[in-house]
Amino acid sequence: MTVRVDETGSIRLEGTCQIDDAELLQRLLLAHPAAAVDWRDCEHAHTALIQLILAARRTVRGPSRVPFLEKWIAPHFHALAP
Amino acid sequence: MNEFLEQFLIESRELVEQATGDLLALEESPQDHDRLDSAFRAFHTLKGAARIVEFDAMGRVLHAAEEMLVAVRAGEHPVTADLISDCLSSLDQVVQWLDAIETGGDLPTVAATTVDALLQRFEKADARLAPAPVATGWAEPLAALHPSARTAIRYAPDEGCFFRGEDPLSLLERVPGLLALDLQPTAPWPDLVAIDPFACKLVIVALSTAPPGEIASLLTTAAGQVQILALAADAFSSEAQALLQAQLLLVADREEENFTGRFAAAGNVVANVLRAQGRASHADALLRLVAAGDADGFAAALQNVLRGDDEEAGEIARAPQDVVARALRVEVERIDALVKLTGELTVVKNAVGHASRLAQGGADPTALAPLLKEQHALLDRLVSELQRSVLGIRVLPLRHVFQRFPKLVREMSASLGKPVRLLMEGEATEADKAIVEALFEPLLHVLRNALDHGIEPAESRAKAGKTAVATVLLQAVRDGEHVVVEVRDDGGGVDLDRVRRVAETRGIASADALQAMDEASLLELLFAPGFSTASQVTDISGRGVGMDAVRAAVARLGGHVSITSTAGHGTSVRFLLPFTLMMSRVMTVESGGQVFGIPFESILETVRIPRAQITQIGAAHAFVLRNQTVPLVDLAAALDLRGADEVRSDEANIVVTSFAGQLGAIEVDRFGERLDVMLKSMDGLLAGMGGVAGTTLLGDGRVLIVLDVQALLR
Amino acid sequence: MTKRVLIIDDANLVRMYYRDALQRAGYETAEAMNGLEALEYLLAQPADLLIVDVNMPTMDGLTFLRALRRQALPLAATPALVTSTEAAQVDINAARAAGANFYLVKPIAQDLFLRYVALLCGGAPQGASR
Repeated sequence: MTVRVDETGSIRLEGTCQIDDAELLQRLLLAHPAAAVDWRDCEHAHTALIQLILAARRTVRGPSRVPFLEKWIAPHFHALAP
Repeated sequence: MNEFLEQFLIESRELVEQATGDLLALEESPQDHDRLDSAFRAFHTLKGAARIVEFDAMGRVLHAAEEMLVAVRAGEHPVTADLISDCLSSLDQVVQWLDAIETGGDLPTVAATTVDALLQRFEKADARLAPAPVATGWAEPLAALHPSARTAIRYAPDEGCFFRGEDPLSLLERVPGLLALDLQPTAPWPDLVAIDPFACKLVIVALSTAPPGEIASLLTTAAGQVQILALAADAFSSEAQALLQAQLLLVADREEENFTGRFAAAGNVVANVLRAQGRASHADALLRLVAAGDADGFAAALQNVLRGDDEEAGEIARAPQDVVARALRVEVERIDALVKLTGELTVVKNAVGHASRLAQGGADPTALAPLLKEQHALLDRLVSELQRSVLGIRVLPLRHVFQRFPKLVREMSASLGKPVRLLMEGEATEADKAIVEALFEPLLHVLRNALDHGIEPAESRAKAGKTAVATVLLQAVRDGEHVVVEVRDDGGGVDLDRVRRVAETRGIASADALQAMDEASLLELLFAPGFSTASQVTDISGRGVGMDAVRAAVARLGGHVSITSTAGHGTSVRFLLPFTLMMSRVMTVESGGQVFGIPFESILETVRIPRAQITQIGAAHAFVLRNQTVPLVDLAAALDLRGADEVRSDEANIVVTSFAGQLGAIEVDRFGERLDVMLKSMDGLLAGMGGVAGTTLLGDGRVLIVLDVQALLR
Repeated sequence: MTKRVLIIDDANLVRMYYRDALQRAGYETAEAMNGLEALEYLLAQPADLLIVDVNMPTMDGLTFLRALRRQALPLAATPALVTSTEAAQVDINAARAAGANFYLVKPIAQDLFLRYVALLCGGAPQGASR
C-alpha cells in the first residue's frame, strides 16, 4: 500500500515506491485528473513513477524527505505549497 | 629584449618544431594518437606561452588551431589534408611573428586582418567538417551555466531498461559533485492514457565536478546508454599553470634547511590555485600528501594534475597509503654470509676471553703475546669481511634504474619524431643503493638531451650518410672503486657555435672570451648555471633542470660528470661515481673566518684554556694537558688565514687529537657542530694542498674542507 | 570570507599601488615597511598572502622569507609572492631558494597582478566591486 488516494483527495506516495507501483499510479492519475501528488512520505521513487508524474503534469506536494529527490527532481515538477 | 621574451622565443621555436613534426607525421598516419596528443600539447603550450607574454594575436590563432585538434581528439573530425595545412599555416605565421620579435626586440603590431584571415580558415574548416555531431551540443547549454563542471553526462536509457531492473535516476543519485540535472522526454508526452508505464522515455543530462573517469566507473551498469564528456579541456589558466609549475620547483630541492616551511607553503599555494580553478577534490588530496610529509608523492600528483591526467589524478587520493616502506630486499646468500661471520666472531671473542683470564691468573705476558697477536689478526680479517658484507647489502644492480628508460626513450623518440634505438650494457653492474636510486633523474635528463639536441633530424642524418634510426647507448661498468655510467649517442655532436651563442645571450661569458675558448672549455659551459633553457617564471614547458643540476646531483653522490663530443659523430656524457657512499662523521670548526671539518675519529677531546698557558718552544707552541706536554698548531696561522694585527681572545679553543699514539692539538677560533658527510677525495685545484683530507658538499651547496690532522701536525 | 594580504615594501608609492588595487578588488590589506615589521605583524595575526619586495632596509625580503619559512606551521606556510625590478635568473633562483612561491617582475599590469593574487589566495573575494 505505497500508492493511494488519501482523505484530502491527493495521491500519496509512501515508503519505497517501486516499478510495480507504476501501473497503479497511472490508473490513479487517470481516475483523479485534478489530484495533486504528495510525496512527503516517499523514501524512494522509481524512475517510472517520476516519469508518470512529469507526463501527467501534476503538481507535487513536498518537500521530499530524500535530499536527492528534493534537490534534483522536485524542480522539474509543478510545485504546490505545502 | 627582456628575459621573458627571450625565453619565449627559445621555447616557442622548439614547440613550433615539435608541432610541425607531429602534424606531418599525423598526415602520414592519421590514426597515430601519440602524434595527435603531442601536437595538441605543443599547440596548447605555445598558446600558454603567448598568453604569458601577452601576445594576444598569437594566442587567438593558436587557440583556434588547438580547438580543431581537440575536435579531432574527441573523434568529431577526421584528420584531413586541409586541417593539417591550416594548422601548419598558423605555425608559419607564428614563426614570422617570432622572427619579428627577434629582430624588433618586442611584440610586433599585428594587423587584425592577418589574424582574422587565419581564424576564418579554422571557422570554415569547422563548418566544412562538422556533420552536426550528435556527440556534443547537449552539454553546452547546461555547461555554460556551470563553469566549474568537469564532466557532462547524457543518459538515454533504453525503453526496456525497467524490465531489466534498472532505475536510471537512482543510479544518478550515486554520482558525486552533481551541479545540475535535466530531465527531458524523448518525445513530447502523449496523453496520460497512451503512456506505457513500463517504457522509459526519458533523457537525463547531468553535470558534475567529479572527473569523468570516476563517473564512468560508477555508471558501468548503464554502459551503452550513457555518454560521458570531459569538460574544461583548457581548465587551467596560464597564470594557474605558471604558479603550479613554480611550486614544483619550490619543492624540488629537498636539501634546503627550511624545507618543511617551503613544502607547506607550496602545498597551500597549490591547494589555493586548484580551489580557485574549481578543483577542490584535487586540492584536498594534495593537502593530504603535504600533511603526510610525502614530497615525492606531492610532486608526482601535481605533475599528473598539470598534465590533466584524470585517471592518475584520480589516484592521488590514495597515494598517502602507497608510501613505499624503506625496506631493503637482500639476497639469502648475503644474509648467510653474515650469519657465518657472526659465528666466527663469537669464536674470537671466546679466545680473547680465555687470554684475559690467563692474564688475570698471572700468566707470563710474553707467553700471552703470540696468542693475542693471532686473535688480533683473525679479528682484523673478520671485521673487514663484515664491512664488505654489510656494504654488499646496500648494493643494487643498475638494472634497477636502467629498466625504466626503454619506455621513456620510446616515448621521447615518438614525441620528437626521431627514431631511436636504446642499447643498454652492464645493467648487472652494482653500486650503492643510494647512488643507484639517485641516478634516475640525472640520467633521464641526459637521455632527453641526447634525443632532443644530440640526435639530428632525419634529413641531416640521411645527408651525413647515417642510418635513419639513431643509436643511444646507456652503459655501466665497474672500474675499481668506481662505477662509470655513460650515455653515448651517434648524433651530430655538440654544436659549439650554438653553445657560444647561447652562452653569450645568457650572459655567461663575453663574446671575446668565448672566441678564445677551446672545445673543452666550451663543453664545460654546458654545466654553467643558467645555461640550460629552463627558466622559472616562464617555465611553461615544464622542463626544470639543466646540466648544472645534473652535475650538482652527481656531485652530491661524490661523483663527477663530464662531456666529450666529436663533431658529426656524437656526444658522450660520462658519470664517474663512487662504488660505495662512505659516510664519515666530522666536527666543524671555524678559523680565520672559514669553516673546516675535522674527522671525528681523530678527535680525543675539546678544551678551552687561558692563552697564558700556551708556551712557545722555538718556532712551535705547546701547552700542558694533565701533566703531558701537547704540541699545538694554530689552524688559521697554519693555513695563512691569520691577519697580522689580529687581536686574540684570552682563551684558546683547542681540539686535542691523537695519531700514531701521539697527542697533538689544533687551535681554532670556534667549535661548530657534528655532521655526517660523504668525503670526496681531492681533485682539481685543491689536489696538491697539504693538510686536507678531502672535501664534501654541504646541504646548502657550500664546500666543506675536511682537514687531514696527521699532515697538519707533522 | 575576506582575504588579508600583507604588503611588504619600503616604497610608499608601491604600497599605495598594491593597496589601491587590492582593496578595490575586495581584499583586506595590511602593510609593513620591511621584513622585520612584517614578521612582527605575522606573529600577532595571520595573513592569506604576502607581497614581498626584495630590497628593503633593516631586513630585506629574502632574509625575511628564509626566517618565515623556519617558523612553526601554519605561519611558515603563508604563501609569498615576490615582486622585484630585477629580472635576472639568478634573482629569481635566489628568491625561490629563500622560499618564495612565485616571482613577478615589476612593473606589473594591475589585472595580471590581481589574477595571480586571486589564484594564490584560493579565489577572488566574494562581492568584489569591479
